[in-house]
Amino acid sequence: MIDLKNIKKSYFVGDRELPILKGIDLTINKGEFVVLMGVSGSGKTTLMNIVGLLDKQTEGDYTFDNTDVNGLDDESLADMRNRYIGFVFQQFFLLPYLDAIENVMIPIVYSKKGIKHPRDKAKALLAKFGLENRIHNKPTQLSGGEQQRVAIARALVNDPELILADEPTGALDSKTGGEIMDLFEMLNNEGKTIIVVTHDPKLASFGKRLVRIEDGAISEDITT
Amino acid sequence: MALFQKISQLREFVEEVIKILYYYRGRVIFSFSGVTLGILSICIIITTIDGANKKAQDIFEALGPDSIMVFGGGEKQRAARIRTNTLKVEDAELLGRVEGIYDVMEVYSARNIMMRYKDRNWQTQVVGSTTNYFDSLAWKFQMGTPYTAEDYAKAEAVCVIGARVYDELFRGEEPLGKTIVVGKLPTRVIGVLQERGGSTGGPNIDDRIIMPLTTVTSRIVNEKRYLSMVRLKTNRDLDQTIEDIRETLRQSHGLKGSLDDDFTLRSSKDILAFVTVISGSLLLFLGTAAVVALIVSGFVLANLFYLTIQERKKDIGIRRAYGATQKGILLSFLFESILITFIGGVAGILLSIILGSTFEKLFDIPMMFSFKVVIFALLFSFLTGVLSGLKPALTASRIEPIEAIRG
Repeated sequence: MIDLKNIKKSYFVGDRELPILKGIDLTINKGEFVVLMGVSGSGKTTLMNIVGLLDKQTEGDYTFDNTDVNGLDDESLADMRNRYIGFVFQQFFLLPYLDAIENVMIPIVYSKKGIKHPRDKAKALLAKFGLENRIHNKPTQLSGGEQQRVAIARALVNDPELILADEPTGALDSKTGGEIMDLFEMLNNEGKTIIVVTHDPKLASFGKRLVRIEDGAISEDITT
Repeated sequence: MALFQKISQLREFVEEVIKILYYYRGRVIFSFSGVTLGILSICIIITTIDGANKKAQDIFEALGPDSIMVFGGGEKQRAARIRTNTLKVEDAELLGRVEGIYDVMEVYSARNIMMRYKDRNWQTQVVGSTTNYFDSLAWKFQMGTPYTAEDYAKAEAVCVIGARVYDELFRGEEPLGKTIVVGKLPTRVIGVLQERGGSTGGPNIDDRIIMPLTTVTSRIVNEKRYLSMVRLKTNRDLDQTIEDIRETLRQSHGLKGSLDDDFTLRSSKDILAFVTVISGSLLLFLGTAAVVALIVSGFVLANLFYLTIQERKKDIGIRRAYGATQKGILLSFLFESILITFIGGVAGILLSIILGSTFEKLFDIPMMFSFKVVIFALLFSFLTGVLSGLKPALTASRIEPIEAIRG
């Protein structure tokens, strides 16, 4: 599903080139559960942004679901993100003025898929994650774990093939974090492709494949 | 894509924006109150000017486009309120012979005359005039009849009362045939005039009684030589007639060379010109205030919007990550700012209606609300919304998703 070939990414500070990614080759197939591990500054977040079509590589080829995404414009990229990718972030990023179910439904507003009964679907997802009594709570009325589960429901509402999670447990205690990782495992068993980006070595035990990034290059790629 | 889904997405979008406005309501109220003030003043200007023009038109029509009024006393004397009794009874006769004049209405009016009916007192203006008074002014009766030529010739104690006097003295009782005491003269009421409405600022036109000129000058005041006013109608060119009138009067009064007129001429044209000047300065003054208010509120709005966008960067990032296009972000922010100014505009319109009708009651300022005002106000608020929202919305749409998410 994801095919990265010799991906390079540099930032320019004045005349100086700061290479962040130094030629990444990575293929991820449907149904995989990949933990992308690296210390901060290793380039893992940049890689995730490129994979998530939020950022563009400086060099190299990226094929997503047999589509070469290099030449796509803003509108097509937005549509692809909406269609294929569900994002989960460390800080949850729920919108404060919307309640739980409305937050879950955000991707629907931008969807061209024609999902029927989106409200029922959002409600079912929240119920699946044990939040049936929290549907109309605002983010501030939810605990961290609950907020992250709402965010995961939001990532799933549009039936994406890929869940892309950036430090999903970073803002949670280890018990709650473990529960969130269990949830990803459950989703993976249901057929979703999952990529979790983290610096936390404790998460290495989750997932079926561990990709380690060091200094902008892949240093380790183990399938367990 | 199914139309239904489009519609429900649009509804979702609108509902979200409303929720955003509610969440940031403190700031939103602050933003739109400026717009409200601007729109309020625009509405008040338009309604006042329309009202004034309508009033002017009414006066113009009531006076007739062909009428000229001659008052005793020159401009300076009138301003100083000294020696205004210069218009002689013979002058009216002379003026009647000026070319083109087909109607001469003579008036002697006495102010502050006490009237009594039963135990009720009312102080008013007594107008003595010729029999053509009511026709000349096109003033209709709500009951009764005018005095006759015979009443005039015999100086009968009969009177026609204005609507205000009728209200104050009779309060709905049958007035015809009743006797009221005017000054010291018992006078029979033979007619009641229709209401004409108060003129702005001046004495109420309905607060008067009208009697034969002969009765007033011989039985109420003792004044046989002078008139207070003569009202003429001409079928010739107005300006030319006015010149002839001036010549006739100057000759009659023995004014030669550079001596000032000791009388004043007014035509309906002057009144129209006066109203035009008034509404012009009103437009200038209030219009400037309104435009300034709108511009200031536009800037306030734009700045608050920039602030909001900095605060909502993550919001934008999330939406972009979940499939919002740049255009989508642009539209959503633009819609937000238009909605704010729209709310402000509607509030301004409502407020102007409340305030306008209060003004109308309190200060007797004529107001004319119209559909035009609403359209104008909404257009202005829409424009303010677009102009102040466009740049911030463009900035918002250009924020890269990752930049926004990282904060």
